[in-house]
Amino acid sequence: MSARAEVAVSVGAHGDSLWSKALRKFRRDRVGMWSLAVVLAYAVVALGVVLGLWAGDWADVSGPKWAPVSGEYWFGTNIIGQDIFARSLYSTRTAFEVGLVVALGATALGAVLGSTAGFFSGSWIDEVIIWLMGVLDSVPFILLVAAISYTLQGSPWAMHIAMIATFWIGTARLIRGEVIKLKSLEYVEAAHAIGVSRFMIIFRHILPNTFHILLVQATLSFVAAIKSEVILSFLGLGVKDGMSWGLMISESTFEVLAGFFNNFIAASVLMFGLVMAFNMFSDALQDALDPRTVK
Amino acid sequence: MCIFRHRFAFILLLVILGACSSGESELPAGVDQKVFRYSMDSAPTSLDPVRASTLYANQLVVNLYDTLYVYKYLQRPYELRPNLATAMPEISPDGLTYTIPVKQGIYFADDPAFPGGKGRELTAHDFIYSLKRHFDPSTRPAGAWLWQGRIVGLDEWKQAGSDYAQEIPGLRATGSHVVQIRLKRPYPQLVDTLALGFSGVVPREAVEYYGREFSINPVGSGPFRLVSYDSSRAVLVPQENFRREVVDLEYEGYDAATQSQYGVALIDGRIPPFIDQLEIYFIKEGSARWSSFTKSNEIQYAGLPNEQVDRVLVSTNPVTLNPGYAEQYHMKTALEAGFVFSTFNMDFPEFGYNDDPERERRNHALRCAMIRGFDWESRNDSWYSGIGKVFPGIIPPVVPEYDAGLSRDSVIYDPEGARSLLAANGWNTATLPVLTYGTTPGPTSRLFFEQFRAWMMRIGYPKEKIVLKTYATFGDIAKAWRNSELPLISKGWGLDYPDAENTLQLFYGPNASPGSNDGNYRNAEYDEMFRQAGVMLPSPVRTDLYHRMNQLVIDDCVAITGLSRVGIALWHKNVIALPDRNFVGGRFMYYVDVLDPDAPEVQALR
Repeated sequence: MSARAEVAVSVGAHGDSLWSKALRKFRRDRVGMWSLAVVLAYAVVALGVVLGLWAGDWADVSGPKWAPVSGEYWFGTNIIGQDIFARSLYSTRTAFEVGLVVALGATALGAVLGSTAGFFSGSWIDEVIIWLMGVLDSVPFILLVAAISYTLQGSPWAMHIAMIATFWIGTARLIRGEVIKLKSLEYVEAAHAIGVSRFMIIFRHILPNTFHILLVQATLSFVAAIKSEVILSFLGLGVKDGMSWGLMISESTFEVLAGFFNNFIAASVLMFGLVMAFNMFSDALQDALDPRTVK
Repeated sequence: MCIFRHRFAFILLLVILGACSSGESELPAGVDQKVFRYSMDSAPTSLDPVRASTLYANQLVVNLYDTLYVYKYLQRPYELRPNLATAMPEISPDGLTYTIPVKQGIYFADDPAFPGGKGRELTAHDFIYSLKRHFDPSTRPAGAWLWQGRIVGLDEWKQAGSDYAQEIPGLRATGSHVVQIRLKRPYPQLVDTLALGFSGVVPREAVEYYGREFSINPVGSGPFRLVSYDSSRAVLVPQENFRREVVDLEYEGYDAATQSQYGVALIDGRIPPFIDQLEIYFIKEGSARWSSFTKSNEIQYAGLPNEQVDRVLVSTNPVTLNPGYAEQYHMKTALEAGFVFSTFNMDFPEFGYNDDPERERRNHALRCAMIRGFDWESRNDSWYSGIGKVFPGIIPPVVPEYDAGLSRDSVIYDPEGARSLLAANGWNTATLPVLTYGTTPGPTSRLFFEQFRAWMMRIGYPKEKIVLKTYATFGDIAKAWRNSELPLISKGWGLDYPDAENTLQLFYGPNASPGSNDGNYRNAEYDEMFRQAGVMLPSPVRTDLYHRMNQLVIDDCVAITGLSRVGIALWHKNVIALPDRNFVGGRFMYYVDVLDPDAPEVQALR
C-alpha cells in the first residue's frame, strides 16, 4: 500500500512528473517568484564581480577617511578611505562563493553518507555513520571551526571545510530516513532481482528519488553558510584574505562609536536582503516540491 | 505559605544585594575615602620585577617596589633623581665603577613571608639579590639584556649555574647600605636602567616563601601594597611602612607656566600618598573604557580613543577640548617615548642580503621603492587623528639626540618615484617577490594590512603577491619575529630610557634574531660606531655618531620609519595629577590626590 503511494508521488496522477508539477506550482507562487528574482539579482552582482565588471577597486584606498554618502562614493568610505559600495558588492561574491561551495559540499556529502547509511540500515556501516554524525554534532560549531582553522594553519578554506563538516549531518539524517523508506519499494526489489550492483541501486535508482529533499536542503545550507560566514568573519575565524559582510560589520564596531554607521548599515541590509529572499525562495520551493500541498 | 514565600524572596534579595555590594570596595563603610580609579587597556601577566617587560606590568611594579633612582615627577625633559639611593652615584674617573649609597630605615611591607609578619629593613644586599635574579634562568627573566655583557662577573655567574651564595666581583655590597657596580666597559645609561621597573628591589624571603606565586603576591617597599588582583582589576592601598617624604615641587621640576592648570601645586609640602585606595581597572575595549570614564563614578582616567576625537575635540591643531568636556576633564597631550615602524628582514634573500651582488643591489632598490610608496601622512590621518609626528630615521623626536634638520625624503610619499625606481631596476609584476605580511586578528590589524597592501599596489605590486598571515596572539607573532619567519616586521617600540641608544640598538648586528634586531641588519660601519658611542657620555661627538648611524639605516633602506604617536589623556577635574605613560610611568600615581568635586580648589580649576 505504502509502496503504491510512493510511486504515485514520483509519477503523478496525470502522468506529470514531480518536477513539472513543482515547477507549475512554483510559478503560481508570487512570493516565491519575487524572492527568486531578488536572489538572481544578487547572483548577477556576484557574477559581475567574478567577471571583473565591477568592484575591482574594493581594496583601493583612494578616498578620504569616513567620507559621507555622495555621488562619488555611494555608500561612503571607511576609515582608510576604501569605497564601501565596492566592498559591499565584493562581499556579495564572497557570500555566494561560500554559500555555493558549502551548499554543494554539504549536500553531496550528506547525500552519499545518508543514502549509504539508509541502504545498509542496521549494519555496521550504518552504525559507523550514525556514530560519526553524533560525534560531529556534539562539538560546538565555533570550536570546531577554530580547531580546523588551527590545523590547516590559517588556510582560506578552513571555514568552508568546517561548515561542510557540520552541515552535511542534517541532510544525511533526512536522506537516510528517505532511503530506508525507498529501498523496500518494488522497483528496488526488481533491481536486486535482475542483479544490479548495490552501488548502482543506491546512486542510480534510489538517490535520484531524493533530489527534491536535497534541493531544499541545499537552499537551507546556502542560507546557513552565509549567516555563519558573517559570524565567523566577525570573530576573525572566517574570510582571511578578501572582503565579506562579516568583516565589514567587524570593522564597524569602532566606527559606530564615532557616529559612522555606513559599513554597518550596508553590510546588514545587503545580508538581510539576500538571507530573507533565499529563505522565502526556499520555503516556496519546499511547498512546490511537497506533493501534499495543493494549490 | 504565601507570606513565607514573600519573606524568603525578600531575604534572598537582601543576600544578593549584600553580595553585590561586598565586592565593590575594600574600604570600611561610612568613611569618606579618597579612591583613584585608573584604567589600562590590558592586564599585566606578572607583577614580578624580573618579568615587568610590558607597560602594564611596569605601571603596577613601580608602585609596589622601589628602585634606586626615579625620574622627577614634573621635570621635562626627563631627569633622574635618587629614590632608594641617597645621592646620584659616585662614578670613578674611568667610568667603570659606580658607588651608590642606599637610604637607611627603608622597610619592606609587612607580610607573612617575614618572621612575625613584620617587614624588615631593606639593604644593599637586597638590590644585589634582585639584580642577580635577572641572570637566573629559573625566574624566566625579561630584562637581562639591560645588563648583559656589562657587569664584571655577572654573565659568568649565570654560566656557573646562578648560585646565589656565590659573589660577583662587579656587583657587591661594600657595606650594608652601599652598592658597588663594576663595569666591563663604560655604560652611560646604567643609571637610567636603575630607574626601570626591572630594577625593583625584592626581598629574598618573599621570593622563597611564595615560590612561583610570587608573581601575584608582590612584597616590596614601594608606596602601595596589593590588596587584590584579578583579570579585571588590581586594588592597592598605601603601604604602612613606606617612608614619609615631603613633596618639593621645585625639586620635582614644577613649571607653573605649563602645569598650573592641573592643580599639582596643591601637593607641594605634603606627604604622599594622598589617596586611601588605588584601583586599576583592566579594560581591553576602548568603547567600554570610554563609557566607564564618562560616568561620574567609575574610572577617572582614560586615553581618548581615536573614534571619539571628532566628538570630544574642537580642533586637533592645537589639540583643544570641546568646552563641555573641558568643564569636566583635564587633558594632556604627550608625544610618546617611542615610535611605530616596519623593518625589512635582511635575512630574507628576496628582500635583503643575497649571495648574488646584483640581486642584492636590486633588493636595495626594491626596499627603497617600498619605503617611498608608504604614505605616512595617510596613516597618521587614519589612525592617529593626524596629530602623530612623522619623522625620518630611527631617532624619535622625544630624545635629546633627535635631528630636526634631517632630510625628510625618506618619509615623503612618492608612488611615481617608487614605480620608476622599480622599473629602472628590473622589477615588474612577474619578478617582484611574494611578501608575507604577518598580523594578529582584529579589524584594526586587518585594516593596517589593507592600507599597506593598497599603497604597495599603487607602486605596481600585484595584490596576490602580498599575502596575509594571521597569528592567533601577539605572543605568536612576536615569536615569529624572533625566529626570523617574516620578511617584514611591523611593530612599535617604547623607549626604556630617554637616550637614542635604546632605539639604535634595534639595528646593532650582534643583537640580531632572536635579539632585538629582528630585522637582522648587519653593517660593520654601523656596528663600529655603535660600540664607540656606547661608552660615551652625552656629548656632541656622541650625538654626531648617533646621527651617522641613523643616516646609514636610512641610506640602506632597512626600515619604513617612523611615526611617534601623540597620546591624549583625560582625567576628572577633581583628580590632582599629571599622568605620564613615558618614563615616569605608573609612578605618577604616588602623587595623585582626589578632592571633593565641589571643593573650591576644584571649582577654581574648571
